[in-house]
Amino acid sequence: MSSDFYKTSILPFAGIIIKLCRAYTNSQEDFEDYYQEVCLQIWRSKASFREESDWGTWVYRISLNVCLTLLKKKKNNVQYFVSDASPAEETDDNFAFSDESLNLLYAAIRKLSEIDRAIIMLYLEEKSYQEIADIIGTNQNNIGVRVQRIKIRLKKILDGKIN
Amino acid sequence: MEKSIENIWKEGFLKSDALIAPKINNLYNQKSIHIIDKFKRMFRINLIAIVAFSFIFLIVSYFVGIPLMGAIFFVTMMVVVIINRSLLNGLNSIDKGENSYQYLLAFNQWTKKQVAINKKMSTYLYPVIFMSIVIGFWFKDANGMFLGQRIVNKLLMTLPDIYLIFGIPLLGFVVVFLILGLLAFFGGRIYLWDVNIVYGRIFKKLDDLLADLESLRS
Repeated sequence: MSSDFYKTSILPFAGIIIKLCRAYTNSQEDFEDYYQEVCLQIWRSKASFREESDWGTWVYRISLNVCLTLLKKKKNNVQYFVSDASPAEETDDNFAFSDESLNLLYAAIRKLSEIDRAIIMLYLEEKSYQEIADIIGTNQNNIGVRVQRIKIRLKKILDGKIN
Repeated sequence: MEKSIENIWKEGFLKSDALIAPKINNLYNQKSIHIIDKFKRMFRINLIAIVAFSFIFLIVSYFVGIPLMGAIFFVTMMVVVIINRSLLNGLNSIDKGENSYQYLLAFNQWTKKQVAINKKMSTYLYPVIFMSIVIGFWFKDANGMFLGQRIVNKLLMTLPDIYLIFGIPLLGFVVVFLILGLLAFFGGRIYLWDVNIVYGRIFKKLDDLLADLESLRS
């Protein structure tokens, strides 16, 4: 990948990729692997970008799709979907933000199902229900209902009412 | 006042350390950990290994006097390679820029298709390989005579009343057809068992993700 492509086409959207990859990983090492893999797949897929959506939305789609189907190496060398990671999996200490509330919110998001994680990330990024439905490929009406359910669940997790 | 998740999100990412991109070095030369790339690598390695092994086996079979076995094995394996190579092209057409549902559906359909085709092939593959062994050794030259014919002649000396069909003992037919039946019956199951050990969790995860998305579409 040319450094120009990275600087001009990926780096301006690095925030999106970072936020998403963090929701699907529990350690700095995994996060860096996922970030690199998403960048690699964006570069490899760039020829299929048809300008039907804006570049940012397309980057979001690639990042999300790649995160949903990434393989993670376990210590015993067995590979499995990252999203198959146990919600109770411990997060590394060095994988924390300086903002404690944000750490707690991420920990709560990691306890959601893979699709719910994607929906709430898009919602928090202020995407409309229509945009979320377009990115995920679902029905706009159901997204609104699901977002409200996820928010209630996150609130309960944050309040320590459920694990 | 307690902060909403929206405010935690916004305020948290205002801090300078929150969005530091990791350094990426020599990215293109790194081994991809994406499942589609893994499937592609696995397919390519398998196909190269099959071609190499069957070609070596073809040469060896000629020198050890069972060229028919080597030839049947080689042709059968080439059919497997050609079919799987065309399946690999389908993997290349999966667009990661599609929405998640379409992307996961396309990938799931590809995995289901390749498993179904290879399962069906296994039903025929194992019996054909077994028959290549039987035919190869039957027609092996044994001092100017086919090995199979020589064995039958010896058998007739000890058991002269044995029932023959086209010069082959009936019992031989029964055993061969029994083994062929068992291989045909279990061939597909052996393949599925093998695939499930390696990819069972991934296939299950794909089904779960799609079920969740389908519930949102209904």
